[in-house]
Amino acid sequence: MTEKSYRDAIRDAMMEEMDRDPNVLIMGEDIGVYEGTFRITAGMLKKYGPKRIIDTPIAEAGMVGTAVGMAMLGLRPIVEMMTINFSIVAADQIVNHAAKVRYFSGGQVDVPVIVRGPQGAGVQLSAQHSQSLESFYGHFPGMHVVAPATPADAKGLLKTAIRGKDPVLFLESAALYGMKGEVPDDPEFTVPFGKSRVAREGKDVTVVSYSRMLQLSLAVADKLSKEEGIECEVIDLRSLRPLDMDPVFASVSKTHRAVVVQEQWKPYGAAAEISASIMEAMFDELDAPVARVTGEDVPMPYARNLELLATPHEPEIIHAVKKVMYANG
Amino acid sequence: MPKAGDAMTEGKVVKWYKQPGDAVKKGEPVAEIETDKVNLDLEAETDGTLGAHAAKEGDMVPVGGVLARILAEGEKDEAPATKEEEPQRRATDKKESVKHTTGEYHEAIEQRGPRRDRSAPEGDAQPAKESTDRLRSSPLARRMARDLGVSLESVQGSGPRGRIVAADVKNAKPATEGRRDAARPAGGDAGAPQLETKIIPLSAMRRTIAKRLAESTGPIPHFYLTADYDVTNLVSVRQQMIEITGVKVSLNDFIIRGIALALRHHPAVNASWGDDAITQHGEVHVGVAVATADGLITPVIRNADQKSVADIATEVRALADKAKNRRLKPDEYQGSTFTISNLGAWGIEDFTAIINPPNAAILAVGAAEPRPVVDANRQIIVRDRMKVTLSCDHRIVDGALGADFLKTLRQYVEQPLRLVV
Repeated sequence: MTEKSYRDAIRDAMMEEMDRDPNVLIMGEDIGVYEGTFRITAGMLKKYGPKRIIDTPIAEAGMVGTAVGMAMLGLRPIVEMMTINFSIVAADQIVNHAAKVRYFSGGQVDVPVIVRGPQGAGVQLSAQHSQSLESFYGHFPGMHVVAPATPADAKGLLKTAIRGKDPVLFLESAALYGMKGEVPDDPEFTVPFGKSRVAREGKDVTVVSYSRMLQLSLAVADKLSKEEGIECEVIDLRSLRPLDMDPVFASVSKTHRAVVVQEQWKPYGAAAEISASIMEAMFDELDAPVARVTGEDVPMPYARNLELLATPHEPEIIHAVKKVMYANG
Repeated sequence: MPKAGDAMTEGKVVKWYKQPGDAVKKGEPVAEIETDKVNLDLEAETDGTLGAHAAKEGDMVPVGGVLARILAEGEKDEAPATKEEEPQRRATDKKESVKHTTGEYHEAIEQRGPRRDRSAPEGDAQPAKESTDRLRSSPLARRMARDLGVSLESVQGSGPRGRIVAADVKNAKPATEGRRDAARPAGGDAGAPQLETKIIPLSAMRRTIAKRLAESTGPIPHFYLTADYDVTNLVSVRQQMIEITGVKVSLNDFIIRGIALALRHHPAVNASWGDDAITQHGEVHVGVAVATADGLITPVIRNADQKSVADIATEVRALADKAKNRRLKPDEYQGSTFTISNLGAWGIEDFTAIINPPNAAILAVGAAEPRPVVDANRQIIVRDRMKVTLSCDHRIVDGALGADFLKTLRQYVEQPLRLVV
């Protein structure tokens, strides 16, 4: 184990896999000479050269389209989006091509393409650059959607993505790039998709989340434990597609109440899918309606004070936990 | 140096268009600036005279750093360098400054957040239309109440809008003799007597009757009693109930409740045969025969005597759906104390059903349809009629007892307010 940042864990995953497999390459805007807007690809152009670290024009649809073709012919391209918001330009390539070629070809052609990049709000990047797109991409069959919350998961899940044969939307939390955590050194360390984990055990309320909101949920769980004696069981979903609900169900059968936390908007969000699944499977176990903690239903404001009001923070999660415990007085 | 993009931390002075002492107009290009991504013209923000260049062509200047000052009439060019707090902090090499920017991203994330106003009442949305006497309870509370033998009607709910939650059930006392007195009307017992579980040892005579009848007709000696009920009122009550509550209740749901209440009057019918004893059951669980693609199965409405017609309707439909999808769990089709089979929907006028062991009886219900009948004034009138046939296990139920049961059931079916008050 070595302490690494989330950013370095992602870089390590890509470099280890590039060393292992010459078919792995990275494309993106400003990833080579400039070494990446978030410095994920620092030093990589020098090490792997311009054939494997490809600086592209500002043309996301072209980048992903090219990568889909590469993947169909046996390469393993990783496309870095400067922010995941820019992938919307390439949505047709992702949704209608990457996610459908295996199906259209009767299973003959795999598309091991990864589209990865940072998402999320919090630093005044305003309405177009602060979005989280997991429910958008999670809606479509044919690809995986992954959203790691820790450096170890960032590395292990990205390696699984690179070694897999399916398209993967790899959603990194920009706000977590600087976060440090223990990461296994074993180059064969991977984290499979579709395996949620219990990030913290507790008996009173099940809190379900992923990515940065998982870290926020853990902070709230510690606080509630210390200050109010409420023990939250926190579940990290890790991948939204495939979605592993079994640990959530097991937890709800113990706590009988659940809160789902997501950063993006409430309507049609990931929390809606998760809470509906809980209701379908665990109806007789529930002692309160499942509560959702989400961002406000507005384009992300630029103004700092409004941005803070539009995104979920500790008080919202605490309020929801107490609400499902009937403890808000 | 203006910030020309979110990732921009510094910019390069490519070329000065204006020299110190040149007059400039607002909007006029003063210098060409190069950022990570673009070259752009720096325009004068105001009219005036350009002061000294604070950066030479080719210099990198951090965002916010001074390039030059535009002087108003008579204003002197003061050295601005001492005010450059920002540039001091940012004057690092390009890679470092990018690192710093992204590091700030992490630091900028607020965990605590602002306090939002929650003074407005919240909670569950009020349904547009709801019955006033509906007992609200969480699914877990209902399950616990069933397991613990607690009647939800006796529990005070502490949740939103009086919702009974698990903690309320836990704190409540298990069912006692007196609790049914306080039963609410919809799920109440309409004055039906109490039941208790009783083991009645077999008498020699009863043994002999059982043995002889069984020898003659198989393991369960059946006999059949048919009655013809007037369901004109019931048809009308059902129609009104659908209109008022919106719950799609069927005649069968009323009959189920009628049976359940009639069984309370005739505990000997709510019974099972055993080798050494007859068990009279303390609870009424009515099995409902459901036809599926695979054959007949009888999901069970537990404690049907304590449920309203609407609740029975909802439960029957849910169980029937499960049955058709083969998703019934054993505890959902086992443990009945009486069974009803209704072929009315198939237009069957009357039929006899085979007893569903270990029940003592089964009621076969035919179609409700308008038929001519002779009234008290010997006139022929048209009434809605329905024929039912009770199949009895003669080891347990004798003819007179079965007839008494059908007579009690007649009161409920022909005076359907008894089923809903």
